[in-house]
Amino acid sequence: MDKQIGVFVCECGPNIAGNVEIDMLLEAAASMKGVALAERHKLLCSPDGQKFLAEKIAEHGLTRVVVAACSPKQHGPTFMGVCERAGLNPYLMQMANIREQCAWIIEDKEEATRKALRHLRAATARVAHHAPLEKLEIECNPDVLIIGGGVAGMQAALLLASGDREVYIIERSDSLGGAAVQFEKVFLAMRSAAEMIAERAARIKANPHIHVLTGCEPQEVVGFFGNFIITVGRPEAEPQQIRAGAVVVATGFELLAPEALAPYGYGEVEDVLTSLEFERMNASGKIVLKNGQAPKSVAILHCIGREERRYCSAVCCLYSMKLARYLKDKVPGAAVTEFYSDLCIPGRWQQGFYRQTAEAGVEFVRASGARAIEEGGRPAVKYVEEAGKENSRTFDMVILSPAMVAPHDAGQVAQMLGVEIGQSGFYAEEHPKLAPVSTSLEGVYVAGCAQGPKGISESAVQAGAAAGKILSSLVPGRKLETEAKTSVISALLCQGCQTCLKVCVYSAIRYDEAKDVCVVNEVLCKGCGNCAAACPSGAARVKHFTPRQIGREVAEILR
Amino acid sequence: MIAGEKATDVLVVGAGIAGMEASLLLAEAGRRVHLVEKTSAIGGMVTKCEEVFANMECATCMVSPKQQAILQNDRIELVTLGEVVGVAGSAGDFTVRVKQRAGYVDPVSCIGCAQCFEACPVKIPNEFEERLGQRAAISVPCAGALPNVPYVDTEHCLRFTKGEECTVCQEACVFGAVDFSQKDEEKELHVAAILMATGFELLKAPELERYGYGKIPGVHTAHEFERLFASNGPTTGELVLRDGRAPETAAVVHCVGRDEKDYCSGVCCMYSLKFAHYFKKKLPEARVVQLYRDLCVPGKSYQRFCERTQEHGGELLRTPEVEISGQNGKVSVSYPDGGGGRQNLDVDMVVLSPAMVPSAGTAEVAELLDLPRDEAGFLVEAEAAAPASSPKPGVYVAGCAGGPVDIQGAVAQAEAAVAGILTQGD
Repeated sequence: MDKQIGVFVCECGPNIAGNVEIDMLLEAAASMKGVALAERHKLLCSPDGQKFLAEKIAEHGLTRVVVAACSPKQHGPTFMGVCERAGLNPYLMQMANIREQCAWIIEDKEEATRKALRHLRAATARVAHHAPLEKLEIECNPDVLIIGGGVAGMQAALLLASGDREVYIIERSDSLGGAAVQFEKVFLAMRSAAEMIAERAARIKANPHIHVLTGCEPQEVVGFFGNFIITVGRPEAEPQQIRAGAVVVATGFELLAPEALAPYGYGEVEDVLTSLEFERMNASGKIVLKNGQAPKSVAILHCIGREERRYCSAVCCLYSMKLARYLKDKVPGAAVTEFYSDLCIPGRWQQGFYRQTAEAGVEFVRASGARAIEEGGRPAVKYVEEAGKENSRTFDMVILSPAMVAPHDAGQVAQMLGVEIGQSGFYAEEHPKLAPVSTSLEGVYVAGCAQGPKGISESAVQAGAAAGKILSSLVPGRKLETEAKTSVISALLCQGCQTCLKVCVYSAIRYDEAKDVCVVNEVLCKGCGNCAAACPSGAARVKHFTPRQIGREVAEILR
Repeated sequence: MIAGEKATDVLVVGAGIAGMEASLLLAEAGRRVHLVEKTSAIGGMVTKCEEVFANMECATCMVSPKQQAILQNDRIELVTLGEVVGVAGSAGDFTVRVKQRAGYVDPVSCIGCAQCFEACPVKIPNEFEERLGQRAAISVPCAGALPNVPYVDTEHCLRFTKGEECTVCQEACVFGAVDFSQKDEEKELHVAAILMATGFELLKAPELERYGYGKIPGVHTAHEFERLFASNGPTTGELVLRDGRAPETAAVVHCVGRDEKDYCSGVCCMYSLKFAHYFKKKLPEARVVQLYRDLCVPGKSYQRFCERTQEHGGELLRTPEVEISGQNGKVSVSYPDGGGGRQNLDVDMVVLSPAMVPSAGTAEVAELLDLPRDEAGFLVEAEAAAPASSPKPGVYVAGCAGGPVDIQGAVAQAEAAVAGILTQGD
């Protein structure tokens, strides 16, 4: 059947009509190829205008529509909706922006009209090559797999598990709790970490919809949002396959490795401990030196590794103060000195915690380059004073507060999942501000310190955020709708060079080794066009942005 | 809704970044959302910024897809110029009364062409522009505000202040969108949950006096500076002093109000550093000194931003306190020299980076909901409960309503609140 293109020019009151010769556009449109109808309307987006458009589509059996009006950002969805309701595939409509790009910005009416005409010609030429597109609907599995059973993983599980959603936690160690189990207390409320974790672990245990697999690690992940299959390695058992619609990565952090602490005196000087060692010592109930005596003076060194890692771990100042509180509680007579470079105590209550710590008699010394050395057979802290002078002071004990770093195998897990790791070694979020717990792969979320160093409450918030994202997008019984404007790779033209694989930010392309071609997963593809732009053989194309469509459009703009 | 039927709708108070995120997710989950915003536009404080740290991303480009998504979502009923005036009931079964002030412009007929406010005879300082620009009595906060529908400010419109039969805006509108027969409306909503996302503002004038603000013309607040830099702002992005000169030297003073408020807002260091980049872009020759106390650049990427700022010529100067005085068009920033004396830094412009405080109106809504607030006025979160929940069941808190937080944190809290709301009663 011949293409029956209807052209509709909106006057937008005086906004367009006042500075563009509408009659001229209509006259020109009437003689364009395929145009069966050219009409004007005072305000096409108004209820009356929409009704007018729908009636004309039906009345004239239009198979393509061009709307010359405002920015498609403003009313693209409006007119797509009108087409759909009128029985025309919404992708067979094209807008020409003759308001923002013509009438509003060009003073001279003749010139504005000329430009509007180019846009109209371009839209009409383009729409002739449009193809109807459909959004796919796929069945999905609402279950969730959580990697890591620390604070974040447990929190996410408790929010997600329900009668119609099973949750699997795979935890590498033999118990839940993660790093926090090693802390006697947590700032700011100085509550017991063990109690908090035991309470959550008990709720998890009591929940029939949460399945905890300890001593397990992921081995392979295949699939995509809504339909992942994760192979989980188990000790002394066959690997198990778990099906889930979404994955939450909550693999936590590690502290800077001991070898990186050597320049700070760790391992070289006696009675130099890491913060974690001190936590354990405190939890054992006895804070003592190697010689069995209680320390009379203790130094706590902040920012260990900050300079090398090029980030501030955000919690070391506060946990260092917490350690000082332990000391003031258990060894009341001990003098405690904190060497810090910047006090990083953001938030509503943190400065109060600092003030209380200072009021408890803890000394705070601003210093740079602080490290432990041996001086006269005793540990000492060598540092540069604020005024620039080098100094050293002896102590009985020195505690190092090292930076948080990503787990040593974060890279491997990320690769298995097909998500990105950022500059600092932690999982990269989809957008640093607007999508903090989403990753480059839809359906894979990251929460807690796996995403970056942070405290327990922020980790819990991120776990809640990941749960919120999953609860709202992966609804039991509901199908997932995919993007219509996806990319396709022609198996005939594809040379198997895999250039597209590297530029795809949604991990939507895989390489089929047997056929030596790349294949697009339409469920994951968002139609960004990176692959189409990068493909050297023209095999990758984005629907609705084909070379022919763009070519015709550009040719008419330039004609 | 049928009597006795279980409520599933959700009320979201505040259409800033947190309120928008939560509304979109709740709608995606199939819930009907009533998004109540006290101003005429959505997007919140982010819309004041031209760019956001740490990637110096265009703020408008970042939030406008979210704003559009809100406006185009059938499940989200946006109430601009709205306020909550009554709350009764409990979790799962709240009855909320929402008042919408008449804006006297029909949003369906209005196309946002600006003819009405260009015609309006009233010209008053524009609050959104931190009073650096002017607006009419019928106006939008700034170019690009969404929804792009002006409203009549009855405190300044001659019809309301003087009882004049002024119809200038009505005559200017060819769509007949200006409608003075509109009345304030009040409606009753039945909702299962309430999310408080009422946001923040920056510490204001009286508390900034000791930094010379209001007395010395060269002293600006961070938000004033944001609007000066903004391409849709009062100077269309020209960085100028109040007398029109371009500053050659500037000092950005961090931690303004930190001592008085007894908390660190956590984002001021970062946005202050951002200002150094703003200067670099518009006035590459200008000398810009940051006077800070502690660099608070937490997290995996913020310190690198600080390094980049220094590489671009941003100077950092640590000082425990500053005193600011003005003379002959210059501003003098004095700080301790470390040896008992003081040093002076003479600059053309001082930008103050004030602490975040709860937004005006937080107290009133909190009182209606019987929500506890802390000494600074922020809403208190429930202890040891699901994240983003308040002590009152069915009421959630996200974003700066519960204390200073950056955009990333606000979005995460909003998403966490959604988890709480969607699992409420499970």
